[in-house]
Parts: sequence; C-alpha cells; structure tokens
Amino acid sequence: MTALLTEKALLTTVVDALGSPLGVVLPQRLADNVAAFRAVYSRHHLTGQIFYAHKANRSNALVRELAATDAGVDVASLAELQHALGAGVDPGRIVATGPKNREFLWLAARAGVIVGADSTAELAELASLVDEHGLPRTRVMVRLSGFASAGVHLDSRRSRFGVSATAFARAVNLIEEHAAALDLVGVAFHLDTIGMAEKALALEGCLTALDECRRRGLRPWSVDIGGGFGVDYLADAAQWDAYTSALTAAVLGKRTPLTWDGHGYGLRAEGGTVRGSLNLYPAHRPVSGAAYLDRLLGMDAPAQRRPLGALLLDNMCDLHIEPGRALLDQCGLVLAAVLEVRDEDNGDTVVRLDCNARDVSLEEHGVLMDPVVVHRGAPGGAGPVGVYLFGNLCLEADLISRRKVFLPSRPRAGDLLAFVNTAGYFMDFSATRALRQPIGRKVAMFRDDGGWRWCLDEQYWPIRVRTEAS
Amino acid sequence: MRIDSLTEAVGNTPLVRIDPAVHGLRHVDLFAKMELLNPFGSVKDRAAWTMARPLLDGAVQRGDTVVELSSGNTAKALAVIAGMHGLSFKSVTNRMRIPEIKDLLLLLGAEIDELPGQSECLDPTDAEDPLTRMHQRLSASGGGYVHTDQYFNGLNVDAHLQGTGPEIVKDLGGRAPDYFVACVGTAGSSTGVATALRRHNPDVRVLGLVADKSDFIPGIRTIDEVHHVGLFDPAVYDVIETITADDAIDGLLTLVRRCGTLAGPTGGGAYQGAVRHLRAVDAELTERRTAVFIVCDRVESYLSYLRERRPELFGQPPRRNSVRTLTDADVAEASTIGVAGAQRWVTQRRGIVIDLRSPVAYRALHIDGSINIVDELFAELLHGGLPFGRRQPVLLVCPVGEKSARYAALLRRMGHRDVSSLDGGIIAWRDAGGELVRD
Ligand SMILES: Cc1ncc(COP(=O)(O)O)c(C=O)c1O
Ligand SMILES: Cc1ncc(COP(=O)(O)O)c(C=O)c1O
Repeated sequence: MTALLTEKALLTTVVDALGSPLGVVLPQRLADNVAAFRAVYSRHHLTGQIFYAHKANRSNALVRELAATDAGVDVASLAELQHALGAGVDPGRIVATGPKNREFLWLAARAGVIVGADSTAELAELASLVDEHGLPRTRVMVRLSGFASAGVHLDSRRSRFGVSATAFARAVNLIEEHAAALDLVGVAFHLDTIGMAEKALALEGCLTALDECRRRGLRPWSVDIGGGFGVDYLADAAQWDAYTSALTAAVLGKRTPLTWDGHGYGLRAEGGTVRGSLNLYPAHRPVSGAAYLDRLLGMDAPAQRRPLGALLLDNMCDLHIEPGRALLDQCGLVLAAVLEVRDEDNGDTVVRLDCNARDVSLEEHGVLMDPVVVHRGAPGGAGPVGVYLFGNLCLEADLISRRKVFLPSRPRAGDLLAFVNTAGYFMDFSATRALRQPIGRKVAMFRDDGGWRWCLDEQYWPIRVRTEAS
Repeated sequence: MRIDSLTEAVGNTPLVRIDPAVHGLRHVDLFAKMELLNPFGSVKDRAAWTMARPLLDGAVQRGDTVVELSSGNTAKALAVIAGMHGLSFKSVTNRMRIPEIKDLLLLLGAEIDELPGQSECLDPTDAEDPLTRMHQRLSASGGGYVHTDQYFNGLNVDAHLQGTGPEIVKDLGGRAPDYFVACVGTAGSSTGVATALRRHNPDVRVLGLVADKSDFIPGIRTIDEVHHVGLFDPAVYDVIETITADDAIDGLLTLVRRCGTLAGPTGGGAYQGAVRHLRAVDAELTERRTAVFIVCDRVESYLSYLRERRPELFGQPPRRNSVRTLTDADVAEASTIGVAGAQRWVTQRRGIVIDLRSPVAYRALHIDGSINIVDELFAELLHGGLPFGRRQPVLLVCPVGEKSARYAALLRRMGHRDVSSLDGGIIAWRDAGGELVRD
C-alpha cells in the first residue's frame, strides 16, 4: 500500500476516469493475511477452516482472489452466498451465518454449504425445507450465546443471536428428530468484543456443548469462534497515547479543541472531571489479527485451566474462524477528490471532499486514521495544517471526521486524499445513494510484471492476461 | 492492646525512617507511612471503614449487598467489613488483572462482576458505557444495594484528612513534612493527607504519582484515567509525575530487600518516585528537609505480577527429566507406530496405553482400555523418575502424535526399553475409523 501511494499519476488518472470516491482493493495482499492465520494454526497443530466474513467488503476481486487460496467464505445474505458461489468458492468451504430468509436457506441447502443456525426455529425451518424439496442432508452448526461463568461473574454483552446452553439441548433434540435432513457438524459463537476473557469462556462453553453431543452419540467435530480479531490501525503506541491524553485535556477545556464543536467521542466534562468513556476503536492494538488468535489459543480455559488450543486438540476439534476486518488488513484504500480548501473566519481550515461520511465510514466505526495527501502538483502551502474534512451531503453531520486532522502539507482543489487501510467495513459497508449521490466505483490494483496494473473490481479474476510471445 | 473489633485497629500506623544509606539523599529525612500494617492489609482499610460505617445499620436492616467498583484493596477491605456484619459484598470491575486478589476476594465470599470488553464493531448509538450503566443501576434506590462509591465519596478523603494526615504531623513532633509523595488511585489518600498537612504548613510540596500510560500498576491510575475520578483535583498536587512498572518494581525490591518493608508495587513506586524527585532537589539544599511517602499495601498479592515482569527474580534450577531439554535428534529416535499397528497393539493388550489429553476430552471419547494421565501430570511424575518398570510396554497417545513422541523420547532417555508413540495421534486414529468409546 505504501508503494502504491507514490504512484501519483496512476491514482489521479483512475479517479479522473471513474470519479470520486473510488474504492481501491489490493487482492494480492489477502494470501499473506490468510497465511498469517494458517501459521497460527500450525503452531497449535490445529486444522479447520478460515472463513472470510464477506460482510466486511462487497468487492468481487477480494472474494475471487480468496477462492484461489485454501480459505472459505462466511456469507450473511442470499446475495453474498450467490456471489461466493459465482466467484468459484467451493460450497464445502462456505458457511451461511446471520439472519436468513427461506430463499437463503434453500440455496444454502441446495448448494451444500454449512448453515450456521441462530435459533431452533431456524433449524426447524431448514429441516422442513430440506424435507419438502428433497434437498440433500444439510450440515449445520448451532450458534451459542449467553455463556455462564463460574466463580467470577463475567458479564458479556447481550446478543440477538444464538441459543443459550439450556436451549441447546432443545436444538439438539430437533436435529436428532430430523436426522435425515440435518447433520450436526459443530457449534459456533461470534462475540462482538475485543475482550479475550469472554471469548475464552465462550470457547470452553462450546467444548462443553460438544461433550453433551458426544454423550448423546452425535459426532460433531468443529468449533467456529466467529470473527473479531481486530486490526492495529496505528503502529505507534506513543502517538495514540498522546492523542487520547490531548483529547481528554480538550474535553476538560485545558487545551484548544481538537474536534468539531468540541465533540468528545463519548467523553464529557462534569464538574471538572471527565465522565463517560472513550467511544473509539483502540487504534493501537499490538495484539491483533493472527496474533490475537494465537494469544487466545494460548490462554487457559477458565474452568479446565488448560490452554484452549490444547483443549481443542485434546477433543479432536477443528477450529473454524470468521475474520472479516483482520483478513482485510492492508487490502484497500478509498480515494476522494478535494473540491475546496478554505479558511474560515474563526481560523478553522476546511477541506470539502467529493465523497461523504458513508463512503469512508471511519467516523461511524470510531476509527481515527489520518488520510494521506496525494498532491497533483505543488502543495497549497508549506508545512502542516489542521483541517476539518467535510462531505458532499447537505447534512450538518456529514463530516468525514469530527476530529481535526493534521495534514503534513496543505492540499489544493483537485488533489486526492487517500484513506488507507479501509477495506474492512469502511469502504462500502454503509455507502448509500442518498441525494442521488453515486456510490463510489471500485477498482482492483495489483502488481504484475514489476509494475502496477488495475482493472474494474468486477473484471478482476485471480489470473493474469497474457499476450502470446511473438 | 485489647479491642472488640478489628476495625478499631484501622489506622495509627507507624511512620518509619528509611535508612539514608539506602536512599542516598544527603539533606532529606525520608519517612514511610506504613499503611500496609492496617488490619486488612492496605491504606484502603481507612477509606472502606469510613465509607461503610454510616451505611451499615441500614444495610443490615434491609439485608442490602455492599457494592463497590474496585479490583483491589478497597474490595478486599469492604469484603471483610461486610462479612463481619453478615452482609454480602459485590465487586464490579473492568478486569481483575491480579489473580491472587481475585482468588482472595472469592475466598472472602465476595461476588465479582466483570464488565464486558469494548465492542469490536463499534456501535456509535451506544452512548453509555457499561460502567455508567452499572452506576445508574446501583444508585437507583431500593435496588438492594448500598454503594460506597469510592471515586466520588467525600468520606474517602475524610478518612485521611482526619486520620492519616494528622498522624503524620503528630509523629513528626507537630510539624508537617516539607514534601509529601503519594500514588493516585481514587485520589482519596493523597487529597486527604495533603489537605491536613497544609493546615499546618501551607508550603508543603505535594507530589502525585500516576502510572505511565503504556503500563499497568495495580491500584493506581494513568494520567488520563485520573480525570475520570470525581475526587481528583489537580490543584492538590504541586507536581504530577509518572512512574513505570519498572520503577515500581525497582522501588519494591529496595523496600523488601533493604528496608524490612514488605511493600507492594505502589509502595515501591512511591519510594522510587520520591527518591527520583528529591535527588534533583537534594543537590541544591543547605538545610535539612523531611519527606513522607505512603506504602499502600503488601507484596504477597503480587507474586504473579512480579513473575510475569521479572521472571529472573524467581530463577529456579532446571528440573530433571524435562521434555524441554530434548533435542530434535532425541525426538527423531523415538519409536512410533501407525494406526494399524496400534490397533493390533490394543487388541492384543500388549501393554498400557496412556492418553495424555485433558480429563474432560478423555472422558468424552478415548481408545478402549487406555488410561488418562494429562501431560502436565505426566511431566510432573517424570521429574521424580519412571512411574513404571523399564520393560513394561507403553503406548503414548496425544492429539496429533507430537507431544507423545516427545514423551516417548524422554522415557527412552530415562532408560525405558519399550515405549512407542501413536503416529498422527488420536486424530489419525479417528480419521482411520478407529473405535472410540466413552464410559
Ligand atoms: C457471525 C459473524 N462472523 C464474523 C464476523 C466478522 O467480524 P470481524 O470483521 O470483526 O472479524 C461478524 C461481524 O459482524 C459476524 O457477525
Ligand atoms: C495498591 C494501591 N496503591 C495505591 C492506591 C491509591 O490510593 P488512593 O485510592 O487513595 O488514591 C490504591 C487505591 O486503590 C491501591 O490499591
């Protein structure tokens, strides 16, 4: 990605041709990210599937590239399933998760993908579909939630999805009743937390559930621990510490504001002390991605007091994971054209961009990352400048970032801002056509023959066009 | 001294001079206020007792549970005090990071609630953090809780304004020290003492110590975190400096090894921070000065914290017969047998089959006739020598055949003649359709 940012001519040409904003995906990086997770599997002697959580990006190129690796795909909608199948992902390497309608269930069963069921009702619906339509016996995993802890009471955030340990017995009854339609292959969870203790508790809970299955004579062999491995968006811990300290001081009025209208990102001042908590993604996360998985597997199970990785092995379990964000680390950026740079009377400098906060949804996800300026010519002024980034919607709230962004040099109209490392969730997850503004186009960029090449995202396949040697 | 309740023994701790040969300051008499000698083990006994006392009668009548947001000493003291009055105690915390304290609280009968970690997919509409929500739930009346609220309760300061501070003045012959140094957690002790001392001498210089942001020192806050503390008033401190976990441990080692003071990390941090600050001043001084720092609690609860950060302090001699000392060549020489061979071995009952997996996994499914000795226990047994005869045939089984090969190599090195490892482990056995049973 760093290399790509020096290709000014290439970047400005594609934005001129295809418009702003423009999503750029870098599919070649995926294989490295998959390999990093695989290395952790090897270290723990574990087998199992790495399912890419498709929801993190709508790109074709990324899924097609992934079809060429040994990874699978976690699809959470009918269209995502169609897309994964169309991209060449083997149905045996697809898991369908999330809320599902009948069409989604039908295609999942028809194609032979694993169905990660959220509830007993979903299992019942699937079983009746399979029976009615003469579909093949379908592999299912049951998603669990609400894990109970012993000793210390560990609060986990309440989840809309999954069955509790008590309801699990009912789900298994149902699967046993419909043994011709449903084949229980494992249990699953996905917890929306960065906390490892909750995941350790959940993983051990899954092992307990598998034990219950074995007691009943069933033989599921898999535990799917979902996603949420995180990304280290900011490598330098000192920068993050300095910024959060300065933000706290700004909220207390002890320094000049760092944000639009003194926005506190969850913090507020009350009688000279700060209340609330910082509602931001912890940008500096040295233990993230594959390293997070490694740490989790090395952690002791709370009750059995043996490392979770060893327990999975002891129980002969395959470990499945569904990383979205972490698998897309360094796999893309969003380019946006600068429409105007203006100095306001109160001293603020404003950069208006031809994109909106939905196109680069960093703010919505609480991730603070500075964009990189791609100048067409000379900078608009020497030295760093603190600016606010405005979007192209006629909404007061349409700020790409409510934080003042300090750019190393002043941009001019026509320059580009490159929002780096935005492939996971910030590129198109929230994009809308409000005000009939276009949703950004997407291109894939890749290295071939020692140079950068690009094509429209939908044109990308993991093979290279070759001209015949004369 | 005869008393009716240990709560009467809270406070009146000694003020002890630190040997100048240890701290090396030429013009400063340095004293430690030995809060670790409080009956429940820390400076927080004072705050806990002062805050809880007025609430106890009502709580006993209603059968309320005492609640506090604490992952350390306050929880410990409150758990004891609640127990003495037949009440339950619940501690709500972000993370219990010190295992000894967590175990101690459970031993004392406390209930511990850990709040969930931050959300991975941030939900920006979730304006209220779990802590704030918990706070609202606790302060709603009639909920069956009394909340001591140490971060906002003025009695936390009063405990030191009436107790710790005046005791220091009395022990210094009616004078306040020139310098006062304390670590800041809830700010109760530093604020209370500083206020009491300044009543005697407005010129007392107060040094507040907070943890470096990238570090964790149990019991105190970082510079950002102190701003969340209701009792924290920056005007109390002439200077606020940061200390690292390394500083705290260096100080702790000086106190425990040279000063007969079994201090925990914040006591060590206060000593180290005080000496560092005063050393700069010392060079300029012509007259004698006195300085006081607080030793908050005891070292025993922090052994795992210390072991994690300074493993060399616990250097133990390597143990005999450890798989860690095997070379790759040793392991390569271990005898292995494949699934088919193992199946014959098992049906012919050639010898003992030892399954090294966890007991729960073994109970769920295992090879018929095998016995379970989990690898950690097996390792422990082998440190003592062979637990069976040299000629007793043994087949070792683990998940993928990796650990069992290492133990087979170790047994061989220990002189065993007939040990093999199941190649590919029980997973290969399963994949080949080998029979697995549960009892
Ligand atoms: C079931 C499930 N799996 C996987 C993921 C991917 O999470 P992440 O991108 O944080 O790895 C999600 C995210 O919402 C999810 O709901
Ligand atoms: C070990 C330890 N040291 C220091 C302190 C700081 O004391 P205070 O809360 O009065 O600032 C605490 C308080 O929680 C503590 O537990």
